[in-house]
Amino acid sequence: MTPAPPLLEVRSLGKRFGAQAALTDVSLAITKGEIHAVAGENGAGKSTLMAILSGALAADEGTLAWEGRPVVLQDVKAAQSLGISIVHQEPQLVPSLSVAENIGLGRLPHRAGPVRLVDRGAMQASAREALAILGVSVPAEAAVGAIGIAQRQLVAIARALRFGARLIILDEPTSSLSLDEVEALFTSLRALKARGTALVYISHRLDELRAIADRVTVLRDGRVVTTAPMAEMTNEALIAAMSGRELVSDLQTGPPPPGTEPLLRVRGLSQGRRLRPVSLELRAGEVLGLAGLMGSGRSRLLRTIFGADARDGGSVEVRAAEAWREVHDVADAIESGLGLVPEDRRALGLVLTATVGDNVGLRTPRNARRWGFLSGRVLRAVAEKAISALRIKASGVDAPVRTLSGGNQQKVVLGRWLRDTRVLLLDEPTRGVDVSAKAEIHRHLRALAASGIALVVASSEIPELLALSDRIAVMRDGAVVGELTRDQATPAEILRLATGTETAAS
Amino acid sequence: MTSDPATPWWQRLAPLLGLFILFVVLSLSSPYFLTRDNLLNVLRQSTINAILALGQLVVIITAGIDLSIGSVVGLTIVVLTLLMRHGTPPLAAALITLGVGALIGLGNGLLLTRLRLPHPFISTLGTLNVARGAALLLAGGVPISGLPPGFRDVVAGSALGIPMPVVIAALAYAVTHVFLGRTVYGRDLYAIGGNREAARLCGIPVDRRLNLAYALSGGAAGLAAIVLAARMNSGFPLAGTGAELDAIAAVIIGGASFFGGVGTVGGTLIGALIIGFLRNGLNLLDVSAFWQMIVIGVVIVVAVWIDVLRQRVGRSA
Repeated sequence: MTPAPPLLEVRSLGKRFGAQAALTDVSLAITKGEIHAVAGENGAGKSTLMAILSGALAADEGTLAWEGRPVVLQDVKAAQSLGISIVHQEPQLVPSLSVAENIGLGRLPHRAGPVRLVDRGAMQASAREALAILGVSVPAEAAVGAIGIAQRQLVAIARALRFGARLIILDEPTSSLSLDEVEALFTSLRALKARGTALVYISHRLDELRAIADRVTVLRDGRVVTTAPMAEMTNEALIAAMSGRELVSDLQTGPPPPGTEPLLRVRGLSQGRRLRPVSLELRAGEVLGLAGLMGSGRSRLLRTIFGADARDGGSVEVRAAEAWREVHDVADAIESGLGLVPEDRRALGLVLTATVGDNVGLRTPRNARRWGFLSGRVLRAVAEKAISALRIKASGVDAPVRTLSGGNQQKVVLGRWLRDTRVLLLDEPTRGVDVSAKAEIHRHLRALAASGIALVVASSEIPELLALSDRIAVMRDGAVVGELTRDQATPAEILRLATGTETAAS
Repeated sequence: MTSDPATPWWQRLAPLLGLFILFVVLSLSSPYFLTRDNLLNVLRQSTINAILALGQLVVIITAGIDLSIGSVVGLTIVVLTLLMRHGTPPLAAALITLGVGALIGLGNGLLLTRLRLPHPFISTLGTLNVARGAALLLAGGVPISGLPPGFRDVVAGSALGIPMPVVIAALAYAVTHVFLGRTVYGRDLYAIGGNREAARLCGIPVDRRLNLAYALSGGAAGLAAIVLAARMNSGFPLAGTGAELDAIAAVIIGGASFFGGVGTVGGTLIGALIIGFLRNGLNLLDVSAFWQMIVIGVVIVVAVWIDVLRQRVGRSA
């Protein structure tokens, strides 16, 4: 780190929303060529801080200094022209336009004259230049809608570079990336760092912060708890700083007694090239982890078992009261005791216009309907039970679900399946959920298994799979390529199977 | 799930407050406004729009739209009056009319759920043209008259001093209120409008429910045609032209969200009444019909703007 004035210095920043203090006395300094992680639970003030740094929000108190000179960021444009850009979790790009057009958007090079014809050559050249800095090989002519999420992320970063960004804020850039994509992103980020660009990196994933960040600032309740070199912070110390208490080494409640009765039987389930014949068997009380890189078919397999995606062949059977029941569609699945907690709770799981109670009751409990009428009393009772069983933090059954934190929203989706469910399929059950809510959800899942429910948990986070599963099935290119028992499963072994290589770093 | 739960009460009451202010202003500006005759007259004149708005509400809750209802009124009014002129008993003719309306609506639903047309705006725009053309063909382009006198006497008459159309509309509102708020079907429609994919993954038969919503909207158009035929004592093939726009306006003024998942029967009633009282008041004040259009246009925009403000408040809360 250079001792010269930092690139951006934040002094005693404060921000209130009504009576609520979002940020109090926040100070930090970001130096040139540094990767500075900002960690904290949901609601700790990360988003507010980033909104202020990117010019989207005005602070109530405090000052900013850019290379030692005081600055005021009136709006996003002002921040951009100063050299601060933000790349959001979901890159804001126009899918129908090309990579080059997206990178140049808003500042397309044009020829002189009143018509302002776009200078396509110059546009392509500057886009390629920005992409070359990142060391990525995305064709500049390709439509953004046709490239993968990881590449879009890089296009968004290239766009920031093209705007002359010297400080780029990355808001959970890896939340939808697979392991190898994350590695590729990190390579690009290191290239940026080497050029002297400063990066502010926000993520929930401690291992990633450790891999990429030079320093870390932890926020809690809108205040800076600590800023320290990453190397000096252990994971335990980080978690303690974020949550304000000593935490969770009790994740593993010990291996549960695997029941003997098989509950779910999947045979030769296939769907074109996306799902090669997959066979699985699951017993009562068992937790099967589903590992694999992004696009390996984890979500596809869960959705196809549940009947939400069509299949080409194979069968799914659930055992209900001594008899095997075939599952063909979602209605069959639910009727025979299957449940699905989908990957993206906002897009697939929740009705955001509705209340907590309505969302829990969306999968209608059997005794809540009679002659097409719904019993408000039963629905209420069921929702109240879910709230207390899962300790959902909400003002009550009638609280609007969109006011809940990510972890509590996830519990609402989970709460739907507490009744009449024998086999629960979970897709990324803790994505975008903060550290303590995650630990809590893990405990609830283990408790469900202990009560005799069989679980299939798909996750891109290997530690999560290791903490939860009795067995781990690893997928690659739509097929299950290996199954590991709890004793065999190590991060390196999972990665080896997932990538299909003999040499994999963990 | 009957209204947006995040909305503070004072905003949820915004449409009602608007109606109240309108009421006070009109009472003060015209001595004739607050008379029994005039008020009943407004109610009577609002029934057609109120009934159509009810069907439109059901569809808008699912994040859809039904542009065809005005034309469906035209087609079903021709069917109804032709049947009666050829000797079908009025009750049977009325039931067939409801059925025809519902069938056309079901057609709209199937275009959406079977042919997978990208948006109901397109399918119902098609039906708008088809139904109007069919109405004109069936009627030979001229109004159909010579209806049995009993039909008019009953449907356009009154019961206990209340105009029969108002009674019919009130019944329709009561039934729809229970349907949307208390039945599985109603709850499913809100869920589909709020998040179609989440609804599907919870085992809700999305396509069947959407078909039902559009069938109900068509059925509401049939009901409106029955009331309209009695009031005009004839079947005019151009009846209901443009009526879909007033119905959409009533639903939106009543606080329903165009993005689906939010909307109430009570709000829609208030929306229809605001439009009715506005028209009536402007007439009483001798404001020209041209200015009335401008005023109603402004009210629609302001009502939706209030909705936008409301959502902004909700999001930052």
